[in-house]
Amino acid sequence: MEEKYLNIKIKLKRNNEIKLIEYKYKKRTYDERPMALDVLLQAQEEQYDDLAFRYGCRARNCGVCTIDVNSRPKLACRARVREGDILSAIVTLPVIKDLVVKRDGITRQMKGYNNIPKKNDLNEDADKLYHNLTACIECYACLDGCPVHAKNNIADIKKNDAYKYGNPYSFLKIQRLLIDPLTPDSEKHKLIDKAKRLGLEIYRREYNSFKIKCGVGINLKDEVIKPLLDAAYGDEIEKQNK
Amino acid sequence: MTSNNIEYLDCDVIVVGSGGTGSQAVQAAAEEGLKVIVISKDPMSSSDTKICEGVITVREAGDNTDTEEVLSENIKLAGADLPDKNITVAFANDSKDAYDRLRVNGLRPSINKEKNKPKTLAIAMGGHNKSRSVGHKNSGVAFGHTNWDTIIKYKNVEYFEDCWFLEVVKEEIEGNKGKDIKVLGGIVYDAARGKILFINAPSVVIASGGLSSLYFPKTDTMRGNTGDSYALGIKAGADLLDMEQIQFLPFCLASPPSYEGLLAGEPSTASFLGVLRDKNNKVILDSVYLRTRAECSEAIMRAVEDGRGSPNGGAFLDMTKNISAPKSGKYFMKYLKSALPSAYNNARQALGKEAGKAEIPWEVRPSAHYSMGGIRVDEYTRVIHSAENQYEPIIIKGLFAAGQAMGGLFGANRLGSTSLTELAVFGYRAGKSAAKNANQSVKNKNYDIFHKHYFNFKNLFNKKGKLKPYKLKLDLQKKCWDNIGPARTEKKLKKMLTYLEKIEKDLNNVNVPKEMIWNQQFLDLIELKNMITTAKAIAIASLKREKSVGGHVRLDKKTSSLFSKPYSTLVKINKNNAFEAFKLLRQKTPLKRIINYKISEKFRFMKAKILRILPESISDKIIENKYKNILGTDQITIKPGSLDGAPGDKVNQI
Repeated sequence: MEEKYLNIKIKLKRNNEIKLIEYKYKKRTYDERPMALDVLLQAQEEQYDDLAFRYGCRARNCGVCTIDVNSRPKLACRARVREGDILSAIVTLPVIKDLVVKRDGITRQMKGYNNIPKKNDLNEDADKLYHNLTACIECYACLDGCPVHAKNNIADIKKNDAYKYGNPYSFLKIQRLLIDPLTPDSEKHKLIDKAKRLGLEIYRREYNSFKIKCGVGINLKDEVIKPLLDAAYGDEIEKQNK
Repeated sequence: MTSNNIEYLDCDVIVVGSGGTGSQAVQAAAEEGLKVIVISKDPMSSSDTKICEGVITVREAGDNTDTEEVLSENIKLAGADLPDKNITVAFANDSKDAYDRLRVNGLRPSINKEKNKPKTLAIAMGGHNKSRSVGHKNSGVAFGHTNWDTIIKYKNVEYFEDCWFLEVVKEEIEGNKGKDIKVLGGIVYDAARGKILFINAPSVVIASGGLSSLYFPKTDTMRGNTGDSYALGIKAGADLLDMEQIQFLPFCLASPPSYEGLLAGEPSTASFLGVLRDKNNKVILDSVYLRTRAECSEAIMRAVEDGRGSPNGGAFLDMTKNISAPKSGKYFMKYLKSALPSAYNNARQALGKEAGKAEIPWEVRPSAHYSMGGIRVDEYTRVIHSAENQYEPIIIKGLFAAGQAMGGLFGANRLGSTSLTELAVFGYRAGKSAAKNANQSVKNKNYDIFHKHYFNFKNLFNKKGKLKPYKLKLDLQKKCWDNIGPARTEKKLKKMLTYLEKIEKDLNNVNVPKEMIWNQQFLDLIELKNMITTAKAIAIASLKREKSVGGHVRLDKKTSSLFSKPYSTLVKINKNNAFEAFKLLRQKTPLKRIINYKISEKFRFMKAKILRILPESISDKIIENKYKNILGTDQITIKPGSLDGAPGDKVNQI
């Protein structure tokens, strides 16, 4: 006989105080294997109407419901939970309240990065690699373990500041534009300069030691970071090898 | 709350919403060199556009016979003559340029090298009289990137997320025909920083999407669709059009909870031998693949109403006959998996292996998908209010609406792949109109009127009542489904209005703390208020629509006759501050064309009937050949929401 309840811990954060609550999730069918989002929705309905968390499409497409499940970033809508699991806000961005983090410091660091002239002929096919990158849903799971993003001071939620250092998402945006068939070669150095300003070099130093994971399975190291490093520092590496 | 919490800003154009429509409005206004502020309650560009199927209507993508007249008339006929002709013409005129703008911003379709054009889907999408639907790798997510890049591009655009736009600030001025309304800006709650923003701006663009969350969890759209657009619009004085016209997709999941509401299939999924059954195993609808979505929803909801529904308030989509047919059976699985891959995956994951093989029936239930009605605008997206006479529209100076927020384009039915074009065309038009208005306006420097407007919201913080806004929201969602959902009766609609009066009174007794940083109860209360306003408009408009037409199904009334005169419903707040509905007569398509539609419909059903009467050995052979024809093309893709998904919609929409 399966248990009727699941005991799940939820980490709340309010006014700089952290509180761990235990929620007894009532299974709706005896064999239900709920997702983290189901637990949050039920907890809000039954007990904690002030519980703050984000969600959108419930189908792994919109990328806004990312939380930590046992300290690992997961999409809440498709992360199954087990007895004793702990749900908390992701640790790589500043918490506004409970499970909601402030995300726009990343958006702001990219302002104007793509304001460059484009080629006129729109009817050019993009490479498969281009489409691999537009599969990104901006869930920010990749911030975890990123040595560049780790250099940032976690932003003050009261301010709308841009982050100084980049992250796999912002580098993905730049790499996508670099391989866009509509980007003229003459503009590419601007994109590489932007990547350098966001701290691309840190990846170069730590390339073999860091691990990042993409929420939708994009090979970020091989398809984003490595080609960017090649484009930015390829010549120097060649020189060194000679 | 102190005035320290208020931040005073000014700009030329405020854009409410950062999805497909919002980003296009931003581009149009930013190109003019104006200062633009974008307000988004969800993270940037995390909208319905990002989670959609990514197929867009592009005129002439197929061939050059696809003239502006052809496309415009196609949209109008599909909408049962409810669409505004000026708006369908604008849609047709701009669709190519609008699509190219998205491409400049990073959207990359596959290219047909011979024609030097984007590739269209292998099969012309149902309902469209020309091949003009272009699909994209990674579906809506590819559009999400494009939208994000569009907003981020300009230095003169300021962007605020986690911000709830509370109200359009306006003043009444003396006009030619009495009092005119003029926009002064907007009031915003910035939940992340715990601030109230007073934004002075001569132009405001409403681009904040739809209303499907009224039916949560019976919806496949984003959580944020709480009817904000319509509530903001009608409170600013706007007319709302055809609010009863809500597109429900009939075959969505009813369980398990994590998958509830998501798409499982379309009428075409049922294929040649699929039927709908009630809990007693009785067939409640045959020839499902030829039916309209509304017909399928109606059959399901009638069974539920009579107590013959499935355990989770739906019915059973039984496709077992397809799979057990000796010859054609093996083709069916291939068809099922490839026709609607994302929907099939939802169904298999949610319902299990046996269901995945169609060996057992699927429990299905309708879900809310799109609002075809919305804020009344002209072809330049200028918002209209009709003070005295609905046939004498007056422009609200400085207010614009586009995308799902607007009405008048689709009427009673929406062709597949048109909503992405809608946002690209009218989002951009809205930005341009807003810029033009801003350039012609004298800037208001006074914030006094903002304080007056804000007074009502200020009092919503720190309320010491007993009721929880979140609980009220859940209750409202349940009532919306029961009474203004996919199956309606006069009794239910009236019951809904009584309920809405009650819940409005309940708002006086809610509990909201005074904290300013991410006040969840305040957020829920604001969205609840918007939902109540929108639900009221739907109920009142539904009562004005006396017969079943398109997305509006009345269980107690007949379907509208093809001889009846088409009209849009119009809801507005009258002089006595009450909601009132009117009819707005529309131009009728010549009868000859309508009759042609009807004849082709009869012909299709006759063919389906013959298939059922024939001995199995013969019908099996015929079906086998049909599959070979469909699957023989290099790719078949049926997109949710498209008329391919419901071939019946194509002929039964008048």
